[in-house]
Amino acid sequence: MSAKSPPHLASPSAPPDSAGNTRSTRGADPRFDQILASANDAIISIDESQHITLFNRGAERIFGHAAADIIGQPLDLLIPERFVAHHGTQVRDFSTAPEASRMMAQRGEIYGRRHDGSEFPAEASISKFRGPEGLVFTVILRDITERRAAERTLRDTHDELERRVRERTAELEERNAQLQQEIQERRRAEKRLAEQARELARSNADLEQFASVASHDLQEPLRMVASYTQLLGKRYRSRLDGDADEFMGFIVDGALRMQRLINDLLAFSRVGSRGKGFQPVDLAACVAQVQINLRSAIEESGAQIDVGALPVVCADATQMEQLLQNLIGNAIKFRQGPAPRVHIDARREDGAWCIGVQDDGIGIDPRYAERIFVIFQRLHTAAEYPGTGIGLAICKKIVERHGGHIELHSTPGAGARFSFTLPDREEPPHA
Amino acid sequence: MPDRQRPIRILLVEDNPGDVRLTIEAFKDNRVDTPLDVARDGVEALAYLRQEGIHAGKPLPDLILLDLNLPRMDGGEVLAAIKADPALLHIPVVVLTTSRAEQDVQRAYLLQAACFITKPVDFECFIQAVKLIDAFWLSVVTLPCGARG
Repeated sequence: MSAKSPPHLASPSAPPDSAGNTRSTRGADPRFDQILASANDAIISIDESQHITLFNRGAERIFGHAAADIIGQPLDLLIPERFVAHHGTQVRDFSTAPEASRMMAQRGEIYGRRHDGSEFPAEASISKFRGPEGLVFTVILRDITERRAAERTLRDTHDELERRVRERTAELEERNAQLQQEIQERRRAEKRLAEQARELARSNADLEQFASVASHDLQEPLRMVASYTQLLGKRYRSRLDGDADEFMGFIVDGALRMQRLINDLLAFSRVGSRGKGFQPVDLAACVAQVQINLRSAIEESGAQIDVGALPVVCADATQMEQLLQNLIGNAIKFRQGPAPRVHIDARREDGAWCIGVQDDGIGIDPRYAERIFVIFQRLHTAAEYPGTGIGLAICKKIVERHGGHIELHSTPGAGARFSFTLPDREEPPHA
Repeated sequence: MPDRQRPIRILLVEDNPGDVRLTIEAFKDNRVDTPLDVARDGVEALAYLRQEGIHAGKPLPDLILLDLNLPRMDGGEVLAAIKADPALLHIPVVVLTTSRAEQDVQRAYLLQAACFITKPVDFECFIQAVKLIDAFWLSVVTLPCGARG
């Protein structure tokens, strides 16, 4: 090793060749020195005995050894102790290999050992050529600590991302499972609803069947009872006594009343089962029609009917007429004296029309305010006021079918006011 | 008055003996002396009208009083069969039934019933109804001569 040599250039430990100068080639072209000096990578040459013969600035920087100190030293100094034996084998193996160069560390990574004993990951290639002093191996080595760190960061980031994706996937799966459960619950609810609807349809069909049975089969025997009793009375009047006539009168009366009850029950059941669709109904026109229907009762009683401004509502027209006719008819029927007054008006409530039918008749004790709406419940004997007690029950059913409610405000002797609500509803598109 | 060589014949299709008797009594009460034949159900009614079996040779009725509630074949089916039979469709059919159900009324007229009468529960009203049937169909109306009559 020559003191004149630049610190980064190795002096061959072997004696000069026949040309007398191991650096003759480099000396001949100063660009080699420049290349060696300026290279970022470590460029290290060793001889056949694996002693260092060349150590450039890059190598000094990477390994922390001064070239002056390391030239002539065994290469093992630059290798972590645990790899030393293996490394020597590798280099000897390469020395007999046919190729002129190869990447080092084909199995796994290689590591360098710095002057301070610390290790660093490296990437290196080794090449060989036969010089005058024998085989020369040159290692070009790069410290890849930063790249490894970057790779690790990348890997960590990748792992983190994967972790997040897994987390998110798990969350989504959980949410999805929840949704599936909700969907199933909803389906079960829908199924229950459909079953209820079917049940209701069946029950309605049963009701229809009942109505038909009531219409035909119940009336037939009644007719037999009433008609034959009457025939009996007619044919045998002179041969029976007064009691017999009276008894037959009761039989016929009972049968006829029974028939009216059956017809009323039918009418009541048909409010729901035979209701028509909802369409715009002018209640003023409806009341006018009712006044025509009730003409004889109005004329007979001398009733005066005042009609306030009435709205057009979305309802079943036939049932509106039935409802108003029952209420106005009752107002006239339960009058106190001649010339009863009936007032019909309408006012707006929250989301509904409230229609009132006010009379100045006998009134109703408020404690019966609920009972009067129950089917066949009557407050008077048939002799006082005829009727089966179906009218208000039908009124209530009609109002409830329209989503409203009906109520009574009354003081006995001071008239009664029936009012019912009709909630606003969208008109059916085809109406 | 219809100009006929023979008295008017009525076929009553009615399964309830009580009703059959009541109808006969009502005609009697109205002093109508009309031959009234009775079929107890729809199948028998059609056999009678088509003069099948024991009904062979019987003359066709001029008017049919038809109940709707009949065993085996209901009144509507009988009515449809009569109106589908060219030999029978000219005979007016008066539906005489306990029913006042809207759908029964609709169906009867759709099947070309001459009219629909709900039997009144009150016997006097029933007599009145029979009287009107008698007065209108047997006196006012001119009926066609039976195709085979």
